[in-house]
Amino acid sequence: MRFRLTLAAALAAAIAVSAPVSAQTTLNVVTAGDQNMVEYVTNYLGPKFEAMNPGVKVRAVGTGPGDAGSQKIYEKLSAQQKAGSAAWDTDVAVVHQRGAATMVKENLLLNYRNDVAAGKLVSRDSAKNALGANVDGYVLPMFHSQIAFAYNPDLVKAPPKSYTELAEWVKKNPKQFGYNGVKGGMSGVGFVMGWVSANSGLGEKLEKGPYAAGDKATIEKSLAGLKDFNQNVVMTPGNAGTLDMLNRGEIAMGPVWVDMFYTWQADGKLSPKIKLSLPQPGLPGQPMYYVIPAKAANAALAKKFIDLAESPEVQADGIVRQFNWYPGIDPQHVQAKLTPAAWNKLFTDISPSDLAKYGRPFPLSEYFTDIVEGYERVVLK
Amino acid sequence: MIAAAIAPGRSLRWPRALLTAVLLALFAFAIFGPLANLLLWAFAEKWYFPSKLPSEFGFAFWQRVFDPRGNALASLGTSVWIAVLTVVVSLAVAIPAGYALARLKLPWRGAILLLFLLPQAVPNLPIYVNIARVFYEVGLNGTVIGVVLVHAAHGLVLAVWIASAAFAAVDASLDEAARNLGASPWTCFRTITLPLAAPGLMASAIFVFLESLDEFTGTYFVGVPDVTTLPLLMFNASMGGNYQIASITALLLLVPSIGFMLVVERFLKADVLAMVGR
Amino acid sequence: MTASAVAATDAATLASAALRRGRLAGLALIAPALAIVVAFFIVPLGISFATAFRAKDGSFTLAHFEKSFELYTTDLVFTLAIVLLSSALIALVAVAIAGYLTLGENPRAVAVLRWLYRWPLFIPFVVAGQVMRTFLAKNGMLNHVLIGAGLLDPLAAQSLLDWRGIVIAFVWKQAPFVTLLVAGAMASLDRQHIEAARNLGAPRWRVLWDIVLPQVRGTLLVGVVLSFVTMLSVLSVPLMINPNSPTMITVDVAYRINTHADYAVANALCLLSLLFAAGGAAFYLRHAVRSAGEAS
Repeated sequence: MRFRLTLAAALAAAIAVSAPVSAQTTLNVVTAGDQNMVEYVTNYLGPKFEAMNPGVKVRAVGTGPGDAGSQKIYEKLSAQQKAGSAAWDTDVAVVHQRGAATMVKENLLLNYRNDVAAGKLVSRDSAKNALGANVDGYVLPMFHSQIAFAYNPDLVKAPPKSYTELAEWVKKNPKQFGYNGVKGGMSGVGFVMGWVSANSGLGEKLEKGPYAAGDKATIEKSLAGLKDFNQNVVMTPGNAGTLDMLNRGEIAMGPVWVDMFYTWQADGKLSPKIKLSLPQPGLPGQPMYYVIPAKAANAALAKKFIDLAESPEVQADGIVRQFNWYPGIDPQHVQAKLTPAAWNKLFTDISPSDLAKYGRPFPLSEYFTDIVEGYERVVLK
Repeated sequence: MIAAAIAPGRSLRWPRALLTAVLLALFAFAIFGPLANLLLWAFAEKWYFPSKLPSEFGFAFWQRVFDPRGNALASLGTSVWIAVLTVVVSLAVAIPAGYALARLKLPWRGAILLLFLLPQAVPNLPIYVNIARVFYEVGLNGTVIGVVLVHAAHGLVLAVWIASAAFAAVDASLDEAARNLGASPWTCFRTITLPLAAPGLMASAIFVFLESLDEFTGTYFVGVPDVTTLPLLMFNASMGGNYQIASITALLLLVPSIGFMLVVERFLKADVLAMVGR
Repeated sequence: MTASAVAATDAATLASAALRRGRLAGLALIAPALAIVVAFFIVPLGISFATAFRAKDGSFTLAHFEKSFELYTTDLVFTLAIVLLSSALIALVAVAIAGYLTLGENPRAVAVLRWLYRWPLFIPFVVAGQVMRTFLAKNGMLNHVLIGAGLLDPLAAQSLLDWRGIVIAFVWKQAPFVTLLVAGAMASLDRQHIEAARNLGAPRWRVLWDIVLPQVRGTLLVGVVLSFVTMLSVLSVPLMINPNSPTMITVDVAYRINTHADYAVANALCLLSLLFAAGGAAFYLRHAVRSAGEAS
């Protein structure tokens, strides 16, 4: 009897706890990526926005790193769409390119760029094109990231400048290079993309198209060389896995996301000695996007929030100074707000000209699929 | 140990004690070696090759986790509350179900047990989008009850299977003896079967609690953004390689886990002792 | 009809009515638990699995299964092998530890062991994966300790971050769970049989094998099957520990979803994984039913 009363009381309390309490508006920001993205919103953007808009509370939640995190955001929005919810529970989301492309395709996003003043500050192609999908108007880049080789200069005196040099280097230094294959992280996928781009002769066609299914054979031929390459390298368990092995000195070089690299250095998990380099013909990079779900409960507030986040001051102070990441809006607007020393810190290892030449977008989504599945068929068998 | 059994004698006692001590030490290393890593990362501010141990210790990451705007303590509280509710709900439905499956000759018993197994048996990743949809349609998303139900759906396999095994292990002849003396089925259950099955039920309570405290994906899909729990932070930090934050949150979650187990064990001992001589 | 025949028919009718009532009562007792699982998991599961059979145009197709087997047969076999090996090791470790806790004659050792073995229970799989990754790596703590103790040549240090790491992580995390169940079952056994056997001079391992183990077989089987099934669905451990190919099916499921948004093949793989789990569970159920039949 007492047990039943306790149960009833507990359930009643639970229902009470779950009922909404406050009368103020809550802006829900859901972000993929590492924990520091959540802290950025909670500790930096949030207080700024709340000061500008009294009565509003900013609430940030993280969904985890990589495309897995963006996929979780997409799934929640898709579930609400299929359930026919009137107002969705996410106001601003920060996602990767693949997630954004899928969401635009399924009409899950609001076309907001023209309603936001900062929309005029972005002219890069990456704001209109996500893996070949047209996302113009639905996204604004929060920051740009780039895959690059991180290497320990004590062990790697002269980092290889091309994929051919890299292949020779790994033969002379077996098990000193590591990447994560195609499962578990995009840094490895990006490396494979770069390899195919260098060895297949297809070059820019992979990024600009038009897509030709007949290229599959050429792609798989270029992947055959990767199978031999893999005999001399260490496979790592993901983006964090490569950095993890660099942390313990088990590998001397590997492809990493530049934003993760700087975060790990700031967190004391990577030696400050480790440097970055970009090989020819390049490695892919991608931005993370601010998006607004189509039926966001507070769409107007969401637009104001993104306007704040994309303003040159916040991009300069938050993205560049705090994280040492490449800004999302066009660089000239941000450079004007920083001292030359602060701005040049971004280019300590990779010069602006190298970045412009060798920082490439990801291939078109059909080529992307062909390359990755080709890897599974050719290299993993 | 085998040799000593064949030739009993005092001469073999202290080498055997030494062997036992060595084996225990190795076992302790096997258990605590990996956990030592957790402790080191929780307090490490700088740790990279070639240092074998952190080069700088500190509480910088504890400050980050406990930042007042970050709500770590609130989400810890929510996590524990949800776990307790999950145990209550799971046991409330699992005790009758376990009893029925163990004692009453039900048709489809095997199939029903298999059904409860499904939430644990399938990689859940592709299912969550549809679980979220069901909850949105019913309007339970963003509520504590919704999260409790998602956790219970996962924990019920432990609760029902273990409860069923616990009830099956209780000798049915005791029940029959009591019935012959005129006791009603409910009295039989309350005074004989339930207390005898209590150890198994308490074990399943511990497992359901631990399972709920570790659950994050279901919590994300059903609860976020209104209900946030600490395991969400732990999962994201761990997958992202943010060892310091992951270790700190894991240590934080250890506290309610061990606390719950101690409480249940104390309750269990008293109950079993109370049944002796009745 | 004779009076006895009438009485017999009446008794039979009463008996079958009682049986029906018993069955209805039984179903009523199960209903709430079933309702929770069906509404909040089975229904979404059904919706998900339906996509495994649906082509882009909505027609029925087995193409996704063909693709699964084309790309992932090795991984399916690998998954089954890893989980079976881990289950066997878990059973061994659990029986050994629980056996010592029940039959051990050094009270201090028993107390220490009882306190020691439970710790991994409180560590979630994702954290277990993380600590094992740093513990078993080439420059990880295990190798550091072995080298420091002079037991390992620094050049011979190898990384255990492959299938061995997965098995170690699974056994480390799940063995305490099964041990707890089995030790509890052993503790509630009648000590008379054990004392009698020991008084007759039987060595402890014989007592364990011939007397204790047969009586706790049911609980051991429950623990092992639950572990088997759980290990089939864990994503974090293989994702964080094993970068090589082949890898476990859960990693492939995550990969298909996150890199290709290919829910169809992902669900096909889940269905195949479910068949493994169902196989393991069916094994238990047949055993449990058989032993219940023997007992009665």
